Amino acid sequence: MSFSFDLEPLKASIDRFGVLNPPYLLRNSDSHFTVVVGYRRLLAVRELGWSDTVCQILPDDFPPFEALLLNLQDNLVHRRLNSVEKGMVLKRLTRFLEKEEVLANFVPILGIPSNRQTLEQFLGLEELEEAIRISVAMERLSPRVAALMGSLGRDDRLRMNDLFTSLKWSFNQQWEAAQWIVEIASREGRSAKDVIDEGEIVGVLDNERVNNPQKVKSIVKILRARRFPSLVEAEKLFKKGLSGLSLPSGVNIIPAPSFEGIDYKLEIVFTKGGELKEKVAELSHLSGLEKVTEFWKGTEHR
Amino acid sequence: MKGFRIRRILIERGAESDSLTKRVLDELPNAPREHVEPYELAPCENIEEMDKESLRIIHFKGEFLKPCPGTKRYICCGYKILNVGSNCPLDCSYCYLQSYVNQPSLRIFSNLQENLDVIGDIIDSSPDRIFRIGTGEFTDSLSLDFLTGWTDFLLPFFSRRKNCVLELKTKTSSIKSLIASRYRKAIVVAWSLNTPRIIANEEHKTATLKRRILAAQECQKAGFFLGFHFDPLLYYPGWEAGYEQTVQLLERYIAPESVIWISLGSFRYMPSLKRAIKRRFPGTNIFDGEFVAGLDGKFRYFKPIRVEMYGKLSERLDKWHHDLGLYLCMESDDVWRQSLGWSPENSENLCSYLDSRVRKLMGD
Repeated sequence: MSFSFDLEPLKASIDRFGVLNPPYLLRNSDSHFTVVVGYRRLLAVRELGWSDTVCQILPDDFPPFEALLLNLQDNLVHRRLNSVEKGMVLKRLTRFLEKEEVLANFVPILGIPSNRQTLEQFLGLEELEEAIRISVAMERLSPRVAALMGSLGRDDRLRMNDLFTSLKWSFNQQWEAAQWIVEIASREGRSAKDVIDEGEIVGVLDNERVNNPQKVKSIVKILRARRFPSLVEAEKLFKKGLSGLSLPSGVNIIPAPSFEGIDYKLEIVFTKGGELKEKVAELSHLSGLEKVTEFWKGTEHR
Repeated sequence: MKGFRIRRILIERGAESDSLTKRVLDELPNAPREHVEPYELAPCENIEEMDKESLRIIHFKGEFLKPCPGTKRYICCGYKILNVGSNCPLDCSYCYLQSYVNQPSLRIFSNLQENLDVIGDIIDSSPDRIFRIGTGEFTDSLSLDFLTGWTDFLLPFFSRRKNCVLELKTKTSSIKSLIASRYRKAIVVAWSLNTPRIIANEEHKTATLKRRILAAQECQKAGFFLGFHFDPLLYYPGWEAGYEQTVQLLERYIAPESVIWISLGSFRYMPSLKRAIKRRFPGTNIFDGEFVAGLDGKFRYFKPIRVEMYGKLSERLDKWHHDLGLYLCMESDDVWRQSLGWSPENSENLCSYLDSRVRKLMGD
């Protein structure tokens, strides 16, 4: 149950101290063996050029489900599984158990939130392309985003993987952007790859004068404007209206999120009472303030 | 109804001897039956897929009459739900029951008839109040009527009361038992309407628009009052022409004078519903619009989009007839004013407005 790992430290250890815990094998009907426990140890031994090592052979009637549990137990004791490996474990468990049982008894010990939706996300990981699985295993791509990518075509998935792993995205940013890309693609009847490859985003990616976090911020902004054109337009109009008011410095007016509520907030930053008084007086004489709630309403939605 | 089949009946312990159970079993003599424990899922009951081919008969221990789950942050109509069951054989992609109920199988309550007296006491104890009651919130009011015979006992029960109205809300054309009934008073038969495209793409297993409107016409001719619900309104390129087609059919077949009310409500959803819909209907386009978080946590179209839809549709409906009892479902005061030109201001006043419609059309 291993995926995307660095064998060097184990090789160095085995080279110096030998195989401390022997691998466990199960004999197949064709007299070959299946590695139940110790796959990485055997790989290391092979890479070190050893011709043999001591292994334990499990009884022929050793139940496959027990073998799976033995493997899981061994892995959990020795190391932390990456998300793809967790997905592999869960997938194999569902071959023997109902999902509800997996959810109740195994998902928690893997440190995964115990809900059906998350379980489904992990179960789908193994089906994805190796490049995407590596991104997930290395924690450069959110498992939730990888699961969403599972509903896309191969080219779309790989392009999205490139986008999210070439820059430094937080998992939340990835999730938001991934959803917007998929929804823009659905609305415009295009592929997710086409949405990413359109001029503006490519322009940001190719711009050598901005750093990676700035690129991410710009791409999020571009995607948001395409996903919510009317809302972004309304925000622009509101901002433009405010800028035309000549508000005193340190004064801001904040609308309800997405203009859904009807209340606005007035924010005044001050350090002394006298300063507050001055700003309030200035505000009370400011012309155009009475129209502040109308600034965004000329929105022509698209 | 298209493609509707009950493959098994699950009878919960306690429901065996109820009258409705016997009726359903008589109607479906060949359907395999299983006896199950309350709250215990049968192996066939897949929550995620809703399992709409199993019919679970439940001896319901909760309240049969409940207020519609509105929200304080928006203006609500004070509707009461008569809880006859939940889930329905229709399969609308946007159905909120996919995350709200989160229970599989078609569920009907076998002891409804036995509990009507309790509901009668509630209604009769407030003679000055109008009770607007509906069975179409947690299921379709008529889709299972051929099995349950709901209309056989609900129509006489509500018809004989002076201060209530029973609304049967449906997307079917299953009106046979209504027409056969001799009760009309205090009964509103209502149809959820949408554009032909939305009906074809999103309202799976429902009757076509024309069938619904023809069924409404038949009910109207038979003496029933009618209600219509444009809910959920969906915004897509060509939406205006789509809703125009629907209104034109109304104009053609329905006399507006006996329409008691028409509601408009835009598509709204909790995040959990979006997940459920995406899983069950991955190809749907209903999330393409600009949705923003509402004051109640549900996502709605950005306000100017809602205002445009309500404004244009209400203007068009006004052209058909000036007195249709138009109202908005779960909207704010400012959206009412901007789109309809007036507002009840609060839920209490909306209740009064709709009660006045009942008094006006149905008499005291």
